Amino acid sequence: MENVIRVEALAKVFGNQTALENVDFQVEKGETFGFLGPSGAGKTTTIKILTGQLMQTSGEAFVFNIPTSELKKGMHRKRVGVLTDNSGLYERLSIHDNLKLFCDLYEVPRSRIEEVLDMVNLTNEKKKAVSKLSKGMLQRVLLARTFLHEPDLLFLDEPTSALDPTNSKQIHDSLRRMNEKGTTIFLTTHDMTEAETLCNRVAFLNKGKIQLMDEPKKLRRQYSDNTVIIELKDGRELKRTSGPEHAQEIYQYMMDDQIVSIHSDEPTLGDIFVDITGRELV
Amino acid sequence: MSFSLKRINAIFQKDLKDLSKNMYIGSIIVLPILMAFLYSIGDGETPILLHYLVINLALSSVTAFIQCAVIAEEKEKNTLRGLMLSPASLTEILTGKSLVSLILTVVTIALCMVITGYEPTNLPLVILAIFVASLFFLALGTLLGLLTRSIIEASVVILPFIFLFGFGSMAKPFIEEITWLKFMEYLPNSQLEEIAYGVEVGAGFSDILENLAIILVWVLVGVILTIFVYKKRELD
Repeated sequence: MENVIRVEALAKVFGNQTALENVDFQVEKGETFGFLGPSGAGKTTTIKILTGQLMQTSGEAFVFNIPTSELKKGMHRKRVGVLTDNSGLYERLSIHDNLKLFCDLYEVPRSRIEEVLDMVNLTNEKKKAVSKLSKGMLQRVLLARTFLHEPDLLFLDEPTSALDPTNSKQIHDSLRRMNEKGTTIFLTTHDMTEAETLCNRVAFLNKGKIQLMDEPKKLRRQYSDNTVIIELKDGRELKRTSGPEHAQEIYQYMMDDQIVSIHSDEPTLGDIFVDITGRELV
Repeated sequence: MSFSLKRINAIFQKDLKDLSKNMYIGSIIVLPILMAFLYSIGDGETPILLHYLVINLALSSVTAFIQCAVIAEEKEKNTLRGLMLSPASLTEILTGKSLVSLILTVVTIALCMVITGYEPTNLPLVILAIFVASLFFLALGTLLGLLTRSIIEASVVILPFIFLFGFGSMAKPFIEEITWLKFMEYLPNSQLEEIAYGVEVGAGFSDILENLAIILVWVLVGVILTIFVYKKRELD
Protein backbone atom coordinates (compact mmCIF):
# COMPACT_ATOMS: atom_id res chain seq x y z
CA MET A 1 0.00 0.00 0.00
CA GLU A 2 1.21 3.50 -0.85
CA ASN A 3 2.23 5.75 2.03
CA VAL A 4 0.71 9.22 1.95
CA ILE A 5 2.47 10.38 5.12
CA ARG A 6 5.81 9.13 6.39
CA VAL A 7 7.37 10.45 9.57
CA GLU A 8 10.76 9.29 10.83
CA ALA A 9 12.39 10.22 14.14
CA LEU A 10 10.57 13.55 14.13
CA ALA A 11 11.46 15.97 16.90
CA LYS A 12 10.49 19.54 17.66
CA VAL A 13 11.92 21.63 20.44
CA PHE A 14 10.64 25.11 21.38
CA GLY A 15 13.32 26.78 23.48
CA ASN A 16 13.92 24.30 26.27
CA GLN A 17 10.56 22.58 25.84
CA THR A 18 10.34 19.38 23.82
CA ALA A 19 7.08 19.25 21.89
CA LEU A 20 7.83 16.10 19.86
CA GLU A 21 10.40 13.43 20.50
CA ASN A 22 11.42 10.63 18.13
CA VAL A 23 8.01 10.30 16.51
CA ASP A 24 7.65 7.60 13.82
CA PHE A 25 4.52 6.67 11.90
CA GLN A 26 3.16 6.13 8.43
CA VAL A 27 -0.30 6.74 7.04
CA GLU A 28 -1.46 4.70 4.09
CA LYS A 29 -3.51 5.94 1.17
CA GLY A 30 -7.24 5.84 1.95
CA GLU A 31 -6.71 5.48 5.68
CA THR A 32 -8.32 7.56 8.42
CA PHE A 33 -5.58 7.94 10.97
CA GLY A 34 -6.30 9.31 14.41
CA PHE A 35 -3.65 11.16 16.33
CA LEU A 36 -4.96 11.17 19.86
CA GLY A 37 -3.81 12.88 22.96
CA PRO A 38 -4.63 15.52 25.54
CA SER A 39 -4.05 19.24 24.99
CA GLY A 40 -0.35 20.00 24.73
CA ALA A 41 0.56 16.47 23.65
CA GLY A 42 2.04 17.68 20.34
CA LYS A 43 -0.86 16.97 17.97
CA THR A 44 -1.11 20.46 16.47
CA THR A 45 2.68 20.72 16.24
CA THR A 46 2.70 17.52 14.19
CA ILE A 47 0.00 18.84 11.83
CA LYS A 48 1.85 22.12 11.42
CA ILE A 49 5.05 20.30 10.49
CA LEU A 50 3.20 18.01 8.09
CA THR A 51 1.53 20.96 6.37
CA GLY A 52 4.72 22.98 6.05
CA GLN A 53 3.72 25.61 8.62
CA LEU A 54 6.48 24.68 11.03
CA MET A 55 9.99 23.29 10.62
CA GLN A 56 11.00 20.29 12.64
CA THR A 57 14.11 20.42 14.82
CA SER A 58 15.25 17.02 13.54
CA GLY A 59 13.92 13.95 11.77
CA GLU A 60 12.10 13.59 8.48
CA ALA A 61 8.51 14.20 7.43
CA PHE A 62 7.16 13.36 3.98
CA VAL A 63 3.73 13.95 2.47
CA PHE A 64 3.15 12.25 -0.90
CA ASN A 65 6.85 11.29 -0.67
CA ILE A 66 7.82 14.96 -0.74
CA PRO A 67 9.65 16.54 2.21
CA THR A 68 7.14 18.81 3.95
CA SER A 69 9.49 21.78 3.60
CA GLU A 70 8.94 21.53 -0.18
CA LEU A 71 5.15 21.34 -0.04
CA LYS A 72 4.66 25.00 -0.94
CA LYS A 73 4.15 24.47 -4.65
CA GLY A 74 0.57 25.09 -5.84
CA MET A 75 0.15 21.60 -7.33
CA HIS A 76 0.87 20.03 -3.94
CA ARG A 77 -1.31 22.51 -2.08
CA LYS A 78 -4.26 21.46 -4.24
CA ARG A 79 -3.93 17.89 -2.98
CA VAL A 80 -4.08 18.86 0.68
CA GLY A 81 -6.86 20.32 2.84
CA VAL A 82 -5.98 21.78 6.23
CA LEU A 83 -8.13 22.74 9.19
CA THR A 84 -6.19 23.89 12.23
CA ASP A 85 -6.83 26.07 15.25
CA ASN A 86 -5.35 29.03 13.38
CA SER A 87 -7.71 28.86 10.39
CA GLY A 88 -9.69 32.06 9.92
CA LEU A 89 -12.50 33.50 7.83
CA TYR A 90 -13.27 36.97 6.44
CA GLU A 91 -15.78 38.22 8.98
CA ARG A 92 -17.33 41.02 6.96
CA LEU A 93 -18.02 38.73 4.02
CA SER A 94 -20.80 36.16 3.71
CA ILE A 95 -20.23 32.41 3.94
CA HIS A 96 -20.76 32.21 0.17
CA ASP A 97 -18.22 34.96 -0.56
CA ASN A 98 -15.63 33.28 1.67
CA LEU A 99 -16.08 30.01 -0.19
CA LYS A 100 -16.13 31.75 -3.57
CA LEU A 101 -12.65 33.13 -2.92
CA PHE A 102 -11.27 29.68 -2.19
CA CYS A 103 -13.09 28.19 -5.20
CA ASP A 104 -11.12 30.60 -7.37
CA LEU A 105 -7.84 30.06 -5.53
CA TYR A 106 -8.13 26.27 -5.93
CA GLU A 107 -9.61 26.62 -9.44
CA VAL A 108 -12.73 24.69 -8.47
CA PRO A 109 -16.13 25.36 -10.15
CA ARG A 110 -18.36 27.55 -8.01
CA SER A 111 -21.12 24.93 -8.18
CA ARG A 112 -19.05 23.06 -5.61
CA ILE A 113 -20.05 25.66 -2.97
CA GLU A 114 -23.60 24.26 -2.77
CA GLU A 115 -22.25 20.72 -2.39
CA VAL A 116 -19.94 21.54 0.52
CA LEU A 117 -22.56 23.70 2.23
CA ASP A 118 -24.88 20.71 2.08
CA MET A 119 -22.15 18.53 3.60
CA VAL A 120 -21.94 20.80 6.64
CA ASN A 121 -25.65 21.60 6.83
CA LEU A 122 -25.34 25.32 6.05
CA THR A 123 -27.14 25.66 2.74
CA ASN A 124 -29.78 28.02 4.14
CA GLU A 125 -27.22 30.25 5.85
CA LYS A 126 -24.95 30.97 2.90
CA LYS A 127 -25.82 34.68 2.68
CA LYS A 128 -25.12 35.29 6.37
CA ALA A 129 -22.09 37.40 7.24
CA VAL A 130 -19.42 35.34 8.98
CA SER A 131 -19.34 37.87 11.85
CA LYS A 132 -22.90 36.81 12.74
CA LEU A 133 -22.16 33.09 13.02
CA SER A 134 -21.90 31.01 16.18
CA LYS A 135 -18.67 29.18 17.01
CA GLY A 136 -20.12 25.90 15.78
CA MET A 137 -21.24 27.45 12.50
CA LEU A 138 -17.79 29.00 12.00
CA GLN A 139 -16.23 25.59 12.43
CA ARG A 140 -18.63 24.16 9.84
CA VAL A 141 -17.75 26.91 7.34
CA LEU A 142 -14.06 26.16 7.87
CA LEU A 143 -14.75 22.49 7.26
CA ALA A 144 -16.70 23.36 4.10
CA ARG A 145 -13.70 25.39 2.91
CA THR A 146 -11.42 22.44 3.63
CA PHE A 147 -13.67 20.06 1.65
CA LEU A 148 -14.08 22.50 -1.28
CA HIS A 149 -11.29 21.22 -3.54
CA GLU A 150 -11.81 17.52 -2.73
CA PRO A 151 -8.26 17.04 -1.47
CA ASP A 152 -6.45 13.71 -1.56
CA LEU A 153 -5.32 14.28 2.00
CA LEU A 154 -7.18 16.05 4.80
CA PHE A 155 -5.51 17.34 7.96
CA LEU A 156 -8.17 18.00 10.56
CA ASP A 157 -7.22 19.37 13.95
CA GLU A 158 -10.11 18.79 16.39
CA PRO A 159 -12.69 19.17 13.60
CA THR A 160 -15.82 18.74 15.71
CA SER A 161 -14.64 20.30 18.96
CA ALA A 162 -17.16 23.17 18.78
CA LEU A 163 -20.06 21.21 17.33
CA ASP A 164 -23.24 19.82 18.84
CA PRO A 165 -23.91 16.05 18.51
CA THR A 166 -26.24 16.43 15.50
CA ASN A 167 -23.75 18.45 13.49
CA SER A 168 -20.84 16.27 14.65
CA LYS A 169 -22.68 13.26 13.27
CA GLN A 170 -23.28 15.01 9.96
CA ILE A 171 -19.58 15.92 9.70
CA HIS A 172 -18.61 12.34 10.58
CA ASP A 173 -20.90 11.06 7.82
CA SER A 174 -19.33 13.50 5.33
CA LEU A 175 -15.83 12.46 6.37
CA ARG A 176 -16.76 8.80 5.98
CA ARG A 177 -18.12 9.46 2.49
CA MET A 178 -14.95 11.35 1.51
CA ASN A 179 -12.84 8.54 2.91
CA GLU A 180 -14.84 6.00 0.91
CA LYS A 181 -14.05 8.02 -2.22
CA GLY A 182 -10.34 7.67 -1.45
CA THR A 183 -9.47 10.73 0.68
CA THR A 184 -6.85 9.99 3.30
CA ILE A 185 -7.67 11.66 6.62
CA PHE A 186 -5.25 12.63 9.34
CA LEU A 187 -7.33 13.54 12.35
CA THR A 188 -6.27 14.87 15.72
CA THR A 189 -8.77 14.71 18.51
CA HIS A 190 -9.15 14.11 22.18
CA ASP A 191 -12.65 12.78 21.58
CA MET A 192 -12.21 9.03 21.81
CA THR A 193 -15.72 8.29 20.54
CA GLU A 194 -14.92 10.26 17.39
CA ALA A 195 -11.69 8.32 16.98
CA GLU A 196 -13.42 4.97 17.44
CA THR A 197 -16.16 5.96 14.97
CA LEU A 198 -13.89 7.22 12.22
CA CYS A 199 -10.37 5.87 12.45
CA ASN A 200 -8.84 2.78 10.89
CA ARG A 201 -5.79 3.25 13.08
CA VAL A 202 -4.95 5.46 16.01
CA ALA A 203 -1.76 6.62 17.67
CA PHE A 204 -1.68 7.75 21.28
CA LEU A 205 0.51 10.78 21.73
CA ASN A 206 1.57 11.84 25.19
CA LYS A 207 4.18 14.48 26.06
CA GLY A 208 5.47 14.45 22.48
CA LYS A 209 5.94 10.69 22.23
CA ILE A 210 3.83 8.03 20.58
CA GLN A 211 2.88 5.57 23.29
CA LEU A 212 0.79 3.13 21.30
CA MET A 213 -0.40 2.71 17.71
CA ASP A 214 -2.84 0.21 16.23
CA GLU A 215 -6.39 -0.38 15.05
CA PRO A 216 -8.95 0.68 17.70
CA LYS A 217 -10.55 -2.78 17.67
CA LYS A 218 -7.21 -4.52 18.22
CA LEU A 219 -6.27 -2.13 21.00
CA ARG A 220 -9.54 -2.70 22.80
CA ARG A 221 -9.11 -6.45 22.47
CA GLN A 222 -5.48 -6.27 23.58
CA TYR A 223 -6.38 -4.32 26.70
CA SER A 224 -9.53 -6.29 27.41
CA ASP A 225 -9.59 -8.51 30.49
CA ASN A 226 -11.61 -11.10 28.52
CA THR A 227 -14.77 -10.72 30.52
CA VAL A 228 -18.39 -10.58 29.48
CA ILE A 229 -21.17 -8.68 31.20
CA ILE A 230 -24.42 -10.58 31.52
CA GLU A 231 -27.55 -8.62 32.36
CA LEU A 232 -30.27 -10.82 33.76
CA LYS A 233 -34.04 -10.31 33.83
CA ASP A 234 -34.06 -10.28 37.64
CA GLY A 235 -31.90 -7.14 37.52
CA ARG A 236 -28.55 -8.72 38.35
CA GLU A 237 -25.46 -7.92 36.29
CA LEU A 238 -22.83 -10.65 36.21
CA LYS A 239 -19.24 -10.32 35.12
CA ARG A 240 -17.67 -13.53 33.90
CA THR A 241 -14.48 -14.42 32.05
CA SER A 242 -15.19 -15.44 28.50
CA GLY A 243 -13.32 -18.74 28.75
CA PRO A 244 -14.87 -22.26 28.89
CA GLU A 245 -15.00 -22.24 32.71
CA HIS A 246 -18.25 -20.22 32.69
CA ALA A 247 -19.75 -21.64 29.50
CA GLN A 248 -22.08 -24.01 31.32
CA GLU A 249 -23.38 -21.27 33.63
CA ILE A 250 -24.05 -18.86 30.77
CA TYR A 251 -25.65 -21.66 28.76
CA GLN A 252 -27.98 -22.39 31.63
CA TYR A 253 -29.08 -18.72 31.88
CA MET A 254 -29.82 -18.83 28.19
CA MET A 255 -31.79 -22.03 28.50
CA ASP A 256 -33.79 -20.49 31.34
CA ASP A 257 -34.47 -17.39 29.22
CA GLN A 258 -32.92 -15.20 31.94
CA ILE A 259 -30.64 -13.03 29.81
CA VAL A 260 -31.51 -9.47 28.81
CA SER A 261 -28.13 -8.73 27.23
CA ILE A 262 -24.67 -10.17 27.02
CA HIS A 263 -21.67 -8.23 25.78
CA SER A 264 -17.92 -8.18 26.05
CA ASP A 265 -16.38 -5.81 28.59
CA GLU A 266 -13.78 -4.09 26.44
CA PRO A 267 -12.12 -0.88 27.55
CA THR A 268 -12.72 2.32 25.57
CA LEU A 269 -9.80 4.05 23.87
CA GLY A 270 -10.04 6.63 26.65
CA ASP A 271 -9.63 3.90 29.30
CA ILE A 272 -6.59 2.52 27.44
CA PHE A 273 -5.04 5.95 27.18
CA VAL A 274 -5.43 6.57 30.90
CA ASP A 275 -4.10 3.08 31.59
CA ILE A 276 -0.94 3.70 29.56
CA THR A 277 -0.19 7.31 30.33
CA GLY A 278 -1.86 7.87 33.66
CA ARG A 279 -3.33 11.05 32.16
CA GLU A 280 -6.90 12.01 31.40
CA LEU A 281 -7.72 13.12 27.86
CA VAL A 282 -8.52 16.80 28.40
CA MET B 1 6.53 30.49 -9.75
CA SER B 2 2.87 30.42 -10.76
CA PHE B 3 1.05 33.54 -11.88
CA SER B 4 -2.69 33.13 -12.27
CA LEU B 5 -4.75 36.18 -13.13
CA LYS B 6 -7.82 34.35 -11.85
CA ARG B 7 -6.30 34.00 -8.38
CA ILE B 8 -5.07 37.60 -8.37
CA ASN B 9 -8.54 38.77 -9.40
CA ALA B 10 -10.17 36.60 -6.71
CA ILE B 11 -8.01 38.17 -3.98
CA PHE B 12 -8.60 41.64 -5.43
CA GLN B 13 -12.38 41.17 -5.60
CA LYS B 14 -12.43 39.85 -2.05
CA ASP B 15 -10.38 42.79 -0.75
CA LEU B 16 -12.52 45.30 -2.63
CA LYS B 17 -15.72 43.90 -1.12
CA ASP B 18 -14.17 43.57 2.31
CA LEU B 19 -12.73 47.09 2.28
CA SER B 20 -16.03 48.60 1.10
CA LYS B 21 -17.51 47.37 4.41
CA ASN B 22 -14.58 48.59 6.50
CA MET B 23 -15.17 52.21 7.47
CA TYR B 24 -12.10 52.41 9.70
CA ILE B 25 -9.64 51.72 6.90
CA GLY B 26 -11.69 53.18 4.06
CA SER B 27 -12.12 56.57 5.69
CA ILE B 28 -8.37 57.27 5.55
CA ILE B 29 -8.71 58.45 1.93
CA VAL B 30 -10.52 61.52 3.27
CA LEU B 31 -7.27 62.80 4.82
CA PRO B 32 -5.36 63.83 1.64
CA ILE B 33 -8.57 65.00 -0.05
CA LEU B 34 -9.31 67.26 2.90
CA MET B 35 -5.76 68.59 2.77
CA ALA B 36 -6.14 69.23 -0.96
CA PHE B 37 -9.26 71.29 -0.27
CA LEU B 38 -7.41 73.32 2.37
CA TYR B 39 -4.54 74.09 0.02
CA SER B 40 -6.88 74.97 -2.83
CA ILE B 41 -8.51 77.74 -0.83
CA GLY B 42 -7.28 81.17 -1.73
CA ASP B 43 -6.14 82.93 -4.86
CA GLY B 44 -3.03 82.39 -6.85
CA GLU B 45 -1.17 79.36 -8.04
CA THR B 46 -0.47 76.55 -5.59
CA PRO B 47 3.28 75.93 -5.37
CA ILE B 48 4.74 72.52 -6.33
CA LEU B 49 5.73 71.92 -2.71
CA LEU B 50 2.08 72.01 -1.62
CA HIS B 51 0.90 69.80 -4.49
CA TYR B 52 3.46 67.22 -3.40
CA LEU B 53 2.62 67.52 0.26
CA VAL B 54 -0.84 66.30 -0.74
CA ILE B 55 0.46 63.65 -3.16
CA ASN B 56 3.02 62.32 -0.68
CA LEU B 57 0.41 62.27 2.05
CA ALA B 58 -1.85 60.28 -0.28
CA LEU B 59 0.98 57.83 -0.95
CA SER B 60 1.87 57.36 2.70
CA SER B 61 -1.63 57.38 4.16
CA VAL B 62 -3.69 55.75 1.40
CA THR B 63 -1.16 53.46 -0.29
CA ALA B 64 1.02 52.47 2.65
CA PHE B 65 -1.54 52.69 5.46
CA ILE B 66 -4.33 50.79 3.70
CA GLN B 67 -1.89 48.13 2.51
CA CYS B 68 -0.45 47.85 6.02
CA ALA B 69 -3.89 47.63 7.64
CA VAL B 70 -5.31 45.00 5.28
CA ILE B 71 -2.23 42.78 5.70
CA ALA B 72 -2.24 43.26 9.49
CA GLU B 73 -5.94 42.38 9.61
CA GLU B 74 -5.31 39.20 7.60
CA LYS B 75 -2.73 38.27 10.22
CA GLU B 76 -4.91 39.26 13.16
CA LYS B 77 -7.88 37.21 11.91
CA ASN B 78 -5.71 34.22 10.83
CA THR B 79 -6.86 34.53 7.23
CA LEU B 80 -3.40 35.14 5.77
CA ARG B 81 -2.45 31.58 6.71
CA GLY B 82 -5.41 30.34 4.65
CA LEU B 83 -4.06 32.18 1.61
CA MET B 84 -0.53 30.93 2.27
CA LEU B 85 -1.76 27.33 2.47
CA SER B 86 -3.74 27.69 -0.76
CA PRO B 87 -2.20 27.15 -4.21
CA ALA B 88 -1.76 30.94 -4.55
CA SER B 89 1.91 31.93 -4.84
CA LEU B 90 3.60 34.79 -3.02
CA THR B 91 3.42 36.92 -6.20
CA GLU B 92 -0.29 36.21 -6.66
CA ILE B 93 -1.13 36.96 -3.03
CA LEU B 94 0.88 40.17 -2.82
CA THR B 95 -0.21 41.41 -6.25
CA GLY B 96 -3.86 40.67 -5.49
CA LYS B 97 -3.59 42.35 -2.11
CA SER B 98 -1.86 45.44 -3.55
CA LEU B 99 -4.38 46.18 -6.28
CA VAL B 100 -7.05 47.70 -4.05
CA SER B 101 -4.54 50.04 -2.35
CA LEU B 102 -3.13 50.96 -5.74
CA ILE B 103 -6.52 51.73 -7.28
CA LEU B 104 -7.56 53.77 -4.24
CA THR B 105 -4.25 55.65 -4.54
CA VAL B 106 -4.85 56.46 -8.21
CA VAL B 107 -8.38 57.70 -7.48
CA THR B 108 -7.27 59.75 -4.45
CA ILE B 109 -4.30 61.35 -6.19
CA ALA B 110 -6.36 62.13 -9.30
CA LEU B 111 -9.02 63.76 -7.13
CA CYS B 112 -6.41 65.72 -5.20
CA MET B 113 -4.77 66.94 -8.41
CA VAL B 114 -8.13 68.16 -9.69
CA ILE B 115 -8.90 69.89 -6.40
CA THR B 116 -5.50 71.62 -6.10
CA GLY B 117 -5.43 72.34 -9.85
CA TYR B 118 -2.11 70.58 -10.43
CA GLU B 119 -1.46 70.36 -14.19
CA PRO B 120 2.13 69.19 -14.75
CA THR B 121 3.86 70.19 -17.96
CA ASN B 122 4.72 66.56 -18.71
CA LEU B 123 1.88 64.47 -17.26
CA PRO B 124 3.09 61.00 -18.45
CA LEU B 125 6.47 61.54 -16.79
CA VAL B 126 4.86 62.63 -13.51
CA ILE B 127 2.48 59.66 -13.65
CA LEU B 128 5.45 57.31 -14.19
CA ALA B 129 7.31 58.79 -11.22
CA ILE B 130 4.24 58.61 -8.95
CA PHE B 131 3.62 55.00 -10.05
CA VAL B 132 7.20 53.95 -9.24
CA ALA B 133 6.98 55.74 -5.87
CA SER B 134 3.67 54.02 -5.13
CA LEU B 135 5.41 50.64 -5.52
CA PHE B 136 7.72 51.63 -2.68
CA PHE B 137 4.77 52.67 -0.50
CA LEU B 138 3.01 49.39 -1.28
CA ALA B 139 6.12 47.46 -0.24
CA LEU B 140 6.42 49.57 2.91
CA GLY B 141 2.77 48.94 3.82
CA THR B 142 3.07 45.21 3.18
CA LEU B 143 6.26 44.98 5.20
CA LEU B 144 4.83 46.82 8.21
CA GLY B 145 1.61 44.82 7.95
CA LEU B 146 3.58 41.60 8.06
CA LEU B 147 5.63 42.81 11.02
CA THR B 148 2.64 43.78 13.13
CA ARG B 149 0.02 41.56 14.73
CA SER B 150 -3.15 43.65 14.61
CA ILE B 151 -4.72 46.64 12.88
CA ILE B 152 -4.31 48.73 16.02
CA GLU B 153 -0.60 47.91 16.24
CA ALA B 154 -0.21 48.55 12.49
CA SER B 155 -1.96 51.94 12.82
CA VAL B 156 0.56 52.99 15.46
CA VAL B 157 3.66 51.55 13.79
CA ILE B 158 2.96 53.28 10.47
CA LEU B 159 2.48 56.74 11.98
CA PRO B 160 6.19 57.76 11.98
CA PHE B 161 6.40 56.68 8.33
CA ILE B 162 3.36 58.78 7.43
CA PHE B 163 5.04 61.78 9.05
CA LEU B 164 8.42 61.05 7.46
CA PHE B 165 7.19 60.41 3.92
CA GLY B 166 4.03 62.50 4.02
CA PHE B 167 5.23 65.62 5.76
CA GLY B 168 9.01 65.17 5.35
CA SER B 169 9.17 67.98 2.80
CA MET B 170 8.35 70.47 5.54
CA ALA B 171 11.74 69.75 7.08
CA LYS B 172 13.57 70.73 3.90
CA PRO B 173 14.40 74.30 4.98
CA PHE B 174 16.35 72.84 7.93
CA ILE B 175 18.47 70.44 5.86
CA GLU B 176 21.12 73.11 5.19
CA GLU B 177 21.55 73.78 8.91
CA ILE B 178 21.15 70.25 10.35
CA THR B 179 23.56 67.94 8.57
CA TRP B 180 22.05 64.64 9.67
CA LEU B 181 18.78 65.62 8.04
CA LYS B 182 20.52 65.43 4.67
CA PHE B 183 19.36 61.83 4.23
CA MET B 184 15.88 63.23 3.68
CA GLU B 185 16.93 64.44 0.27
CA TYR B 186 17.17 60.81 -0.80
CA LEU B 187 13.76 59.75 0.40
CA PRO B 188 11.27 58.79 -2.33
CA ASN B 189 9.02 61.73 -1.49
CA SER B 190 11.90 64.22 -1.97
CA GLN B 191 12.90 62.53 -5.22
CA LEU B 192 9.31 62.79 -6.42
CA GLU B 193 9.35 66.52 -5.73
CA GLU B 194 12.67 66.94 -7.54
CA ILE B 195 11.20 65.20 -10.55
CA ALA B 196 8.17 67.50 -10.42
CA TYR B 197 10.36 70.63 -10.24
CA GLY B 198 12.49 69.30 -13.11
CA VAL B 199 9.47 68.56 -15.28
CA GLU B 200 8.24 72.13 -14.83
CA VAL B 201 11.52 73.51 -16.23
CA GLY B 202 11.40 71.15 -19.20
CA ALA B 203 13.25 68.05 -17.97
CA GLY B 204 12.76 64.92 -20.06
CA PHE B 205 12.95 61.21 -19.19
CA SER B 206 16.76 61.11 -19.33
CA ASP B 207 17.00 64.08 -16.96
CA ILE B 208 14.96 62.39 -14.25
CA LEU B 209 16.59 58.97 -14.59
CA GLU B 210 18.81 59.49 -11.56
CA ASN B 211 15.83 60.41 -9.36
CA LEU B 212 13.83 57.47 -10.71
CA ALA B 213 16.79 55.16 -10.03
CA ILE B 214 16.94 56.34 -6.40
CA ILE B 215 13.21 55.64 -5.98
CA LEU B 216 13.72 52.24 -7.65
CA VAL B 217 16.43 51.40 -5.12
CA TRP B 218 13.91 52.11 -2.36
CA VAL B 219 11.39 49.87 -4.16
CA LEU B 220 13.96 47.11 -4.47
CA VAL B 221 14.96 47.29 -0.80
CA GLY B 222 11.28 47.35 0.21
CA VAL B 223 10.42 44.35 -1.97
CA ILE B 224 13.41 42.28 -0.80
CA LEU B 225 12.61 42.96 2.87
CA THR B 226 8.93 42.18 2.26
CA ILE B 227 9.71 38.84 0.58
CA PHE B 228 12.11 37.95 3.38
CA VAL B 229 9.55 38.70 6.10
CA TYR B 230 6.74 36.98 4.14
CA LYS B 231 8.83 33.82 3.85
CA LYS B 232 9.46 33.94 7.60
CA ARG B 233 5.74 34.43 8.26
CA GLU B 234 4.90 31.31 6.24
CA LEU B 235 6.33 29.38 9.17
CA ASP B 236 5.10 29.57 12.75
